[in-house]
Amino acid sequence: MDVTVFCLAWISVVLFIFMVVYRFVKFNSMPLHLRWELYPLPLEPKHHYGGSFMEELDYVRKPRHHERIGGILDMASEVFYLKKVKEYNRFGMWPFSFSMHWGIYLLFVWLFLLVVEGLFNWYAIAPLTNVCGAVAFILGAFGSLFLILKRAGNEELASYTAPVDYFNLLLLLAVFGTGLIAWFTVPSYFDVARSYVAGVIRFQPVSAPFIVLLNFLLFELFLIYMPFSKLFHYMAKYFTFDKIFWDDILNVKGSWVDKRVTSQLSYKLTWSAPHVVPNKTWAEEVEFVDGRDIAQ
Amino acid sequence: MSTAAARAIAKKRVSFKDISRPGDEPLCWAELDDLMGVPYLGEEPPVEPTPQKFVEKYETSLDGYCCIGIPKPQTKEEEDFLVRRFLSGLEKLFTSGDSWTFQQVLRLSFDYCVKCQTCADACHAYIASGRQEIYRPTYRSEILRRIWKKYFTPEGRLLGGFVGADVEVNWRTVTRLAELGHRCTLCRRCAQRCPIGVDNAIIARELRKLFSQELGIAPVEILEKGCVQHLRVGSSTGMNPPGLKDAVEFMEDDIGDRIGKKVKIPVDKKGADILLIHNAGEFLSWPENPEAFAILFDAAGISWTLSSEPVGYDAVNYGLWNDDVELARVALRHTQIAKKLGVKKVVIGECGHATKAYVVIADRVLAGDLSSSEIPRESCLPILWEIIRSGAIKFDSSRNNFPVTLHDPCNMVRAMGIVQPQRLALKAIAPQFREMAPNGVFNYCCGGGSGYAIIQSYNFPQWRNKMGFRMKMRQTLEAFKNELDPEKYPFKYLCAPCSNCKGTIRDGITHYGLWDRFRLNYGGLVELMVNAMVDIDRPFIEYDDFH
Repeated sequence: MDVTVFCLAWISVVLFIFMVVYRFVKFNSMPLHLRWELYPLPLEPKHHYGGSFMEELDYVRKPRHHERIGGILDMASEVFYLKKVKEYNRFGMWPFSFSMHWGIYLLFVWLFLLVVEGLFNWYAIAPLTNVCGAVAFILGAFGSLFLILKRAGNEELASYTAPVDYFNLLLLLAVFGTGLIAWFTVPSYFDVARSYVAGVIRFQPVSAPFIVLLNFLLFELFLIYMPFSKLFHYMAKYFTFDKIFWDDILNVKGSWVDKRVTSQLSYKLTWSAPHVVPNKTWAEEVEFVDGRDIAQ
Repeated sequence: MSTAAARAIAKKRVSFKDISRPGDEPLCWAELDDLMGVPYLGEEPPVEPTPQKFVEKYETSLDGYCCIGIPKPQTKEEEDFLVRRFLSGLEKLFTSGDSWTFQQVLRLSFDYCVKCQTCADACHAYIASGRQEIYRPTYRSEILRRIWKKYFTPEGRLLGGFVGADVEVNWRTVTRLAELGHRCTLCRRCAQRCPIGVDNAIIARELRKLFSQELGIAPVEILEKGCVQHLRVGSSTGMNPPGLKDAVEFMEDDIGDRIGKKVKIPVDKKGADILLIHNAGEFLSWPENPEAFAILFDAAGISWTLSSEPVGYDAVNYGLWNDDVELARVALRHTQIAKKLGVKKVVIGECGHATKAYVVIADRVLAGDLSSSEIPRESCLPILWEIIRSGAIKFDSSRNNFPVTLHDPCNMVRAMGIVQPQRLALKAIAPQFREMAPNGVFNYCCGGGSGYAIIQSYNFPQWRNKMGFRMKMRQTLEAFKNELDPEKYPFKYLCAPCSNCKGTIRDGITHYGLWDRFRLNYGGLVELMVNAMVDIDRPFIEYDDFH
C-alpha cells in the first residue's frame, strides 16, 4: 500500500492538472455563443441597481468599460461565502455547504503548505499548517456528513439526488473523516503527515500508519475523480458567469467577435423540421423564407 | 377515490419516471385551493376541467393543459417517429454545426447543476401553482439530463440509475416534454439565484428548439402563425403591406380625433435618423401606443420613419423563444431593411422580447456590414427619457395624477439591464408613481413571457391566467392596496412598456374582473407621456375605456 499511495500521489496530481487544463480548453474552445447576459452584471459600472450600457442613447458610439473589481468581488462572495445559497436556499443548506467548501479549500491550503515546508524547509509555518489541516478536517467532515443527511432527510432534495451525488459526498466525507481519525489516533499526526509529504516530493517514500496512508489514498482518488464529476463546478463557474452571464461584448465589425461569428455562420446545420433547409450553412439558411418552398 | 383526491396524491408523488408513464391521467392538476393566495382578490373564476375533446385528441397528460396541441400518435410508426426524432434532436443540441448558438451555455447548465434547489422559489409559476413539482425549474432540466445520460453517455450505459440515467423515452415522454417545455416563461429569475450559474431557462428554451427545429412541433401562434407567417406575409399578425398602409391612415385620423392636431406618420423615409419598428400587434390591439410614439417623435423634432416592407413593420421575433433559424431569418430581414433605408439606427417600440431579440441576441447572428456597429439597435426607453430630460417637450405631471405602478418586462430589464430610463420618466410625469415589490432586475414575469401572451389555443389561456399571471396580479394589487376602492380611486394604471406583457395583463385583468372591481387599467409608457403633454389640450388616456 505504501508504494501505491506514494506513486498515486504523483500520478493523481499530474492527472488532476492535465484534466483541469484539458476540460478548460475543451469548454473554452466551444463555439462563441449568442449573447445571454443576465443582470445585475457585476462588471457593469451601474451594477448597484442592475443597469447596463444599453440604458444610454447611441451606446454603440460611446466608450465602454468593465469594472473588473466588481466581478472579482461578486465571484469572491460566491466562492468564499456562498452568498446565494445563504440568501435564497430555503432548505437550510448553507451552514453545511459553507463548511464543506471551506473544508475543501483549507485541505488544499494545508497540502500546499506541507509542500512548501518540504520544498523550502520553512518549518516555521508548521503551526499555521497544522491549524489549516485540523480546521479542514473538522469543517469538511461536518459539512459533508450533514449535507448527506440533509439530502437524504428531505423529500424534495432526496428525489433530485442520484446515488452518484451521495457517492460524491461520501467520498468527501471519507477524505475528511479519515483525516479526523488519523489526527485523533496517530500520535503527532501532523508531523507524520509532514514527513510523508516531504518524502513524496523528494521521491523518498516514508512509511506511515495505515490510517494516514488511507487518508492520502482517498485524497489522491478524489483528485483523479474530481475533474470527471460534478465537483468540477468550481471551474465551470468561470464559464457560466464570466463567459456567459457577464459576457456583454458588442459585435463590432472587424473585431474578434465578428470574425468568430462570421466563421460560425459557415457551419452546416442538419435540423429536420419542414421549415428548415438542411445541409446549408447558417449564412445560406437565413436567406430562405421557408424550407417547404424548396421541397415543392 | 375521487379524481380530485387521486390527483392530489399524484401531485405529491410525481417523479422523473412518471414523465414516461402510459395513460391520459395528468401528472398533476392544480385546483383553486392549491394555488397561491392573492390578498384583496376575493372570489375568482373556478378552474375549468380539461375539455374531454382535448383529452381524446391531444397531449394533455402532463398537467391537463394543452399548449401545443400535439395529436396523439395513431400507429406504432408514428410513435417511433416521435421517439427517433426526439433523440436525434437532443443529440443535435450538443453539436457545433447545428447548435453553436447556445451549445456552451446548454452544456454547462446540463453538466453542473448540484440540485440544491436554491432556484426553485424564484419561479413565479412554481410558487403560484402551489409548488406543483412539475413546474419546479429543475424538474424539466433533470428529466432531460437523465435522458441524455441514459442514451448518449458511456457512464449512463454502464452505470444506469447510479448516475441518474433512468428515464425511458417513449412517445408519452416526448409529447409530455414538448408541453413541459412550455411551462417556463424563460424569465431567467431562477438563473439569477443559482450559485453555480446554471440556467434552467436555457434548458427549457433549447428543449423547445429541439421540437421546433427537428420535429416542427411548436405552438401554432409561435411557429406557423408566428415566424412563418411573419416571413411569408410580412407580420405575425397577418398584416400585409396594404394592411399597414390602412393602419397608418387610421392612426393619423385617430390622432387628429384624440388631440385635435394632425400628425403625419412617416413611412419609408430614406435617410431618416431612426427606423422605428413596433410589435405589429400594437397597430391592431393598442393603436394608441404607436400613435403616442408618432406624437412624441413629431413634437420632439426627431427624424424617424416606419417601414412598409414585409417584416420591416413588425418587430416581433418569435424565434427568440424556440427557433434559432427563424430568429436569424427575421433579424436578417430587419437589418437589411434598415440598411436599405439608410437610417442611422433602429429603435424598437415598447416590446420586450423584440428588443432583446434584435439588440442582444441578434448581435451575434449578424456579422460584418450588418453588425451592431454598422446598424446600431436600441430600446425605445432611453430615447423616451431623453425627450423628457432634454426638455424637448413640456410635460405637466398633474395630468397623470392617479396611482401608477410599473411592471418591468424581463427581456428589457433582467436580460438587458434597462432599468432607470422608464423609472426616471415615470417619476417626472406621474406624481403618484410607486414601485411594486420586487422590482427592477428582480421583478417577476408578467406570466406571458416566451410567447404565452399570444397563445390562445386550447385551454392554455387558463394556465396563463391562473399560474402565469397570478404573481404579477398579487404584486399589482399590493402596490395599489391603499387605493383599491373603485369609488374613491376610479383609475389606476399598471404601466407595462411591452406588448406581450400588456396582452397578458389585459387577459388577466379580464379573467379576474380587476377593471370592474378595482378600476385597474394598464398601458404603455408613451400613452402616459402624451397624456401629460402641455401642448395637448385634452386627455390622451380614455379613463373609462378598458380594452
